[in-house]
Amino acid sequence: MAGASMKDIKLRIRSVESTMQITKAMQLVASSKLRGARARMEASKPYMKVARTAVWDIALHNTGAQSHYVIPREISQRCYIVIAGDRGLAGSYNANMFKRIEWDSRDAACCVIPIGRKAIEYYSHGRMSIITSVEKVEGLTLEACGDIARRILDSYDAGEYDEIVLAYTSFVSVLLQKTKLKPLLPLDARDAPERTNRQMLCEPGADALLKDFLPQYLAGLIYSAACDSFASEQAARRVAMDSATKNAGDMIEDLSLRYNRARQSSITQELTEIVAGAEH
Amino acid sequence: MAMIHLKIVTPQGKFFDADAQRVMVRTTGGDVAILPHHIDYSAALAEAGQARVVEVDGTVRLGEVQGGLLHVSSDDVQVITNHFRWKDE
Repeated sequence: MAGASMKDIKLRIRSVESTMQITKAMQLVASSKLRGARARMEASKPYMKVARTAVWDIALHNTGAQSHYVIPREISQRCYIVIAGDRGLAGSYNANMFKRIEWDSRDAACCVIPIGRKAIEYYSHGRMSIITSVEKVEGLTLEACGDIARRILDSYDAGEYDEIVLAYTSFVSVLLQKTKLKPLLPLDARDAPERTNRQMLCEPGADALLKDFLPQYLAGLIYSAACDSFASEQAARRVAMDSATKNAGDMIEDLSLRYNRARQSSITQELTEIVAGAEH
Repeated sequence: MAMIHLKIVTPQGKFFDADAQRVMVRTTGGDVAILPHHIDYSAALAEAGQARVVEVDGTVRLGEVQGGLLHVSSDDVQVITNHFRWKDE
């Protein structure tokens, strides 16, 4: 412990302590937000399951000609809807998402609809052209999702994009979140049921029905992905802040040890000086 | 007595998931009532309409639906919408 005086160490301890207070508070906020976010995420799951089946039933329903929302196109223009975080300090939550997309987007010309402040910041430096954006993931409404859904449907119908991909982070557990890329349009073939050849009555016609319901379905998809991502963000932040708090605790312990050592050595030195003075 | 299994779902949560005798909703083509043994059927729901659910014990519940989809597939009846509200809540 050469150099640093007792005062320096004391100052460092203070500063680490105040950082620790902040990380601790952020951790608590994240855990309480996580609880709400998980409830919203769970609530949207039954809808997604039911809506997915219904959409596919209509899209594949007995007519010979398939809907153009089902047939994949040759991809030259792709549009990503990227749901990232509103804030940083969530471990690698945001970085993971951007890396995944960078990797995935090499094969086509891409543009992006960022949702969340971090995503907007990342893409505003000209990495990809931004079509439209939403500032906040927290409290994202179905109406806002509906606007995006209608917009992408229109441009998909017009042939501006050949594929529209939703990029979000799926909440597996508090310790594990996975980035996911889900094709919105054409409809994700992985969701398709085993084809059944049954008859179904559609009113008004399958195509009109699909056109009518798809904006709602896509809005629901974006909404539930946003709920999922928000829960992931909170979980990632909770874990990151938890380890930051622990690290700060370790640091304080280490610094206190050094402080005590410095104090002891200064006392010893003083004593030695006094004893040496008395001997003469 | 045969029953339908009715689900009313929105992205915000499930509003109904149980057997029922009958459900009436307004589609873009007009009011329809779904009874057991209905053929597979899909219809767009009207922008603003009422849903009338007759539960197993005969109680009638009313709800407000804004758009969405009515989907019937072998006695599983699904009302898939973005906005739903029970009138009695």
